[in-house]
Amino acid sequence: MASEEQFTASAPLSLGVELELQLVKPHGWDLTRGAADLLGRLEKRKDLTGAVKPEITESMIELNSSVHGGSESLLGELRNMRSALLEEAGMLNLRICGGGAHPFHDWADRRIYPNERFNAVVERYGYLAKQFTVFGQHIHVGCESGDTAIFLTHMMTRYVPHFIALSASSPFYQGEDTSFHSSRLTAVNAFPLAGHIPFVLDWAEFIEYYSKMKDFGIVASMKDFYWDIRPKPEYGTIEVRVCDTPLTLRRAALLAAYAQALAARLLDDLSQVPVRAIYLVNSFNRFEASRFGFAGKLIDPRSGAKRTIAEDILATIVEIGPFATKLGSGPPLAELEALVRGGKTDSDWLRARRAAAGGSLADVVRSACQEWAD
Amino acid sequence: MDLAFLPQAPAVSRLMLLGMLLLAALAAGEAVRRYAKVPRITGYVIIGALLGPEGAGLINGDALFEMRLLVDLAIGLVVFDLGRRLDMTWLRRNRWLVVGALAESVFCFWAIYAALSFFGFTPLLASIAAAIGTSTSPAVVILVSEELRSEGQVTERLMLFTAVNTVLAYLLLALLLPFLHLQHDVDWKTAVLHPAYVFAGAAAVGAIASMVLLRFARWLGKKPDRQFILQIAVVVITIGVAHSLKISVPVALVTLGLLARNTDSRHDLVPVPYGHGGQVFFLILFVLTGASLEFHLFGVATATAVAVFIVARFLGKAAALLTFGVASGIPKGGAGLLAIALLPLSGQAVVMVRDTVSLYPSFGRELAAIVLSAVAVLELVGPIATEFALRRAGEAHPEPAREAV
Repeated sequence: MASEEQFTASAPLSLGVELELQLVKPHGWDLTRGAADLLGRLEKRKDLTGAVKPEITESMIELNSSVHGGSESLLGELRNMRSALLEEAGMLNLRICGGGAHPFHDWADRRIYPNERFNAVVERYGYLAKQFTVFGQHIHVGCESGDTAIFLTHMMTRYVPHFIALSASSPFYQGEDTSFHSSRLTAVNAFPLAGHIPFVLDWAEFIEYYSKMKDFGIVASMKDFYWDIRPKPEYGTIEVRVCDTPLTLRRAALLAAYAQALAARLLDDLSQVPVRAIYLVNSFNRFEASRFGFAGKLIDPRSGAKRTIAEDILATIVEIGPFATKLGSGPPLAELEALVRGGKTDSDWLRARRAAAGGSLADVVRSACQEWAD
Repeated sequence: MDLAFLPQAPAVSRLMLLGMLLLAALAAGEAVRRYAKVPRITGYVIIGALLGPEGAGLINGDALFEMRLLVDLAIGLVVFDLGRRLDMTWLRRNRWLVVGALAESVFCFWAIYAALSFFGFTPLLASIAAAIGTSTSPAVVILVSEELRSEGQVTERLMLFTAVNTVLAYLLLALLLPFLHLQHDVDWKTAVLHPAYVFAGAAAVGAIASMVLLRFARWLGKKPDRQFILQIAVVVITIGVAHSLKISVPVALVTLGLLARNTDSRHDLVPVPYGHGGQVFFLILFVLTGASLEFHLFGVATATAVAVFIVARFLGKAAALLTFGVASGIPKGGAGLLAIALLPLSGQAVVMVRDTVSLYPSFGRELAAIVLSAVAVLELVGPIATEFALRRAGEAHPEPAREAV
């Protein structure tokens, strides 16, 4: 596709999110087959902005926001979409929740959403396709050029652990406590094209790489790269894909505000250039975040200094503060700061719910549905 | 030498009979699934009919009576489970669903009533047959959908509508009881008090049982294995109490399930699947249902009435679903499939008829001829219809349940 090699410029720092959501049934709170029926109803709603799309299995839907200038209007739109979604889901006796993974569903029970692309994924990846019933938030940040997108992709990678810890909400998997804050990333890691962008430094070099991969027959489109952060030329954005879907829309909007302010800060000082060392420490930092949340260690690729992810986020918040203020994201950033100081991830909340519910994971899902609807 | 330690022949004990029944039903269920691709339930019913009083006679009236407890327990668990699936929040959010579910029962009742009246049956007989015909078999719909691992809007509504029409069938019967009494010269006080007692008493017993269940569950904590025993215990006690008070067992159990689900504000009850153990009860339930089918009633004369009953019943359900289905959010084409899925007639109809027969034998015989023959037909066809509908709706799981390793 020629269009993929052409980077469509978009308004710098414009913002949009995709949220993958869980469809569960109130009788037992397991995932259920409901995407097609729900989407059928949503199609008929004239008041729905953004888009709602199917995902790999029939227990998932993906909510796409429109493009926004800031996180406040983004949150407003997400809330409107939520009301429509809850109304239609209520007609069908479906419940919806956030969270990076369903705590106890059996992956083998899942059914692939019937369309060509998903069938091709099953054909290629076998059981990984059903295992991929995990739920992420993707944040799009607008870039004016392909070169900017490549620059930002590398620069943002250092902060991947921040996004993991701030969104972590998949402590349970297949009925077990994984001891991780984000177990969802493990499901993503299984794919051969997961990981990160190669160390290319501008758009031309990236397209050279991409064309080679295409000629080898390894990828058919950029969708085949399951990277933590990837450029999205059709939208003119970079897409941060490491986040679990948080339990609340509010948290999703906070993450978007954080990404936007961070991008603004990184683009402000182009003298800081990407260094290869980012990718030396990346897997270590990423693991620490998904395993230990805020308490995980983060190695700074430039200085080699090691501190906790919480400390690193708090320092970053101070650094990007002025940019957030300019973008109108002062209050969201203050809220994030309080959250990090509190030291609790969504996974901690889910574990606390489980303890309060005498160990019942069904109860955890019920609470998560309530939390998402409130 | 004293050979008194040897058994006195012949020694086919009840236990041996039960064991052999299980084996035979297991084989029949497996055979129909493999070779005819129809639900195992149909195989259980066939083997029951073949071995029952009207077949080989291996299961005779005494055996049926003695195994009654197992049947009661199996039905009890199913009806309780059905009540527990009745989510009042869904009904509150989707008002058309209430309209649809009520219409499904009411249309079905009127269709059977009108058709039988048209063919010259007395209004009372037609209306009692219609009341019984209103209900769908909870056991068949739950077990078929579980066997298929079916999920989706048709399946959800199938459960909901079955729960509603089961309750309404009993309510209609209770409302008709006074007329039956009055026709037989019973004073009006008895005529009114009796059905009120049967129905309200059952609701009260169900309500008390649900409170006991929830209290006990809270004390136990959220442990599925403990709560499994608790639920069985409360269901059995409820059946027992309802029997001895001569009130409606199914109404008591639906009430129990319904209230256990909808008044559990602290979410003390955890979902417990009945699993492999439950399957044994359900297998016995259908074998014995098969054994109690009365094919001898099926004559040329009744054949027409039975056909009228079955067709009118289906048309009534279909008319309601096609009218109100779309408004309540059934996906395209789902309304007709739901009507087909609702075809199974409850084996409970046999009990309803027996109860009526025991009150007024001569009236009961005429009723029995129609309803029990319809039960015989629908016990065989119903599960197949439900399976067809759920598969056609795309709600059956494409892969069979995982085998054990």
